[in-house]
Amino acid sequence: MKYIARELTENVNVSKSHPLAELAWLAGGLLAVVAILYLSLWWVADRIVPRVPVQVEVWAGQQLMARFPNRPDPQLTERVRNLVRLLPAASPLHRYDFTVSVMEQETVNALALPGGRIVIFSGLLKQIESENELTMILGHELGHYAHRDHLRGMGRGLGMTLALAMLFGQHSQVAGMASNLLIGMEMRYSQQQEKSADAYGLDLLVQTYGHAGGATDFFLRLADQDEGKLAYLLASHPHPQDRIAGLRKMIARQGYAVGPTVPLPETLVHQSRECP
Amino acid sequence: MEFIVNHLDLSLFAVLVTVGYAAGTFAERRHYASILSRERAQRQFQVMNAEAYFAEGRVKNSFMVSGSAVISIDYFKRLLAILRNIFGGRVKAYESLVDRARREAILRMKEEALTRGADMVVNLRLETAAIGNAANRRGRIGSVEVLAYGTAVTLNKT
Repeated sequence: MKYIARELTENVNVSKSHPLAELAWLAGGLLAVVAILYLSLWWVADRIVPRVPVQVEVWAGQQLMARFPNRPDPQLTERVRNLVRLLPAASPLHRYDFTVSVMEQETVNALALPGGRIVIFSGLLKQIESENELTMILGHELGHYAHRDHLRGMGRGLGMTLALAMLFGQHSQVAGMASNLLIGMEMRYSQQQEKSADAYGLDLLVQTYGHAGGATDFFLRLADQDEGKLAYLLASHPHPQDRIAGLRKMIARQGYAVGPTVPLPETLVHQSRECP
Repeated sequence: MEFIVNHLDLSLFAVLVTVGYAAGTFAERRHYASILSRERAQRQFQVMNAEAYFAEGRVKNSFMVSGSAVISIDYFKRLLAILRNIFGGRVKAYESLVDRARREAILRMKEEALTRGADMVVNLRLETAAIGNAANRRGRIGSVEVLAYGTAVTLNKT
């Protein structure tokens, strides 16, 4: 048998398609799957969240937050409890055991964590000058609880994390990275949610002091300051000017009076100035 | 800039994938150029996987020759393969790795046979092994090894 050496010009073992084109197809498909998943979780969370009993939420909150030390501030906690006492007996907020703690951080923000734990950053506390403003902010956070906004975001974040962990494996980098990104994103509420929480806070403010004085003071001060330092708040909440306009409209519609504000008691002022 | 600092892991991942794509493509192109030119140079040297039967007195000497090559995947190929794990289908990203390893292993085997003065290689066999496969589960990078071995034969000149 004669041996004839032939050169193979074509390689059948390697596909011809460009790797970047393949990446585009696969990543696009994955994005579509994730988007569909996200939208369906949104839909499901919006229907389930209003039905979650407060006891279940408080229990889940304790499980989730057990790792983080909770040192409630007695003065602020007492203030929130006084606010809750003003609410009608049917309000689900009576079933929470609210605590307020102060976290040493320059961010101008407050968080409503599951189970009734409100966290106020010291950066926000420093900006407050009157009792009325403080009541407005605490009332705003109570509004998030009343509308169960904190659960909606958490439900979606948790659902997505679970789904990604199933897709990529529990300990994979992809799932870890995605859940970090998503949980950060889901801590934010929609503009509409913030607006209804403002309305809730305003009603509580008027119930406490008999007038709406001080409702917009805090936001006026924010709007005056440069935006760089407050970028966090501005990114997660509507612009202060919009909130002021919204609050003024609500005050006018309800016919609330605007009276003089009460300065913060010495103990609280002292505490907020002490923070580094 | 702030985004990069806040999402360090994501940025690192993007850098690794980009470096993987650039370096991997460059290495692959160079490797294929080398494979093609060496294959052309050794074209006249016969290698077959058949069990050969020679006439008596034809074979002067025979010995085993082997060649092996290990080729690593990069982050870009790994990303493509991870995505393939979800959707299924041909893992095209790995095809070129296995192809390169196979051809490189055969070339090295031929080179050994040639330096030892063989006239041909019969009974060629190929083995494949995944290296670092267990480590791959913890997010490490794995590689593929191909081992080519056969019987080199020197013939009595007639």
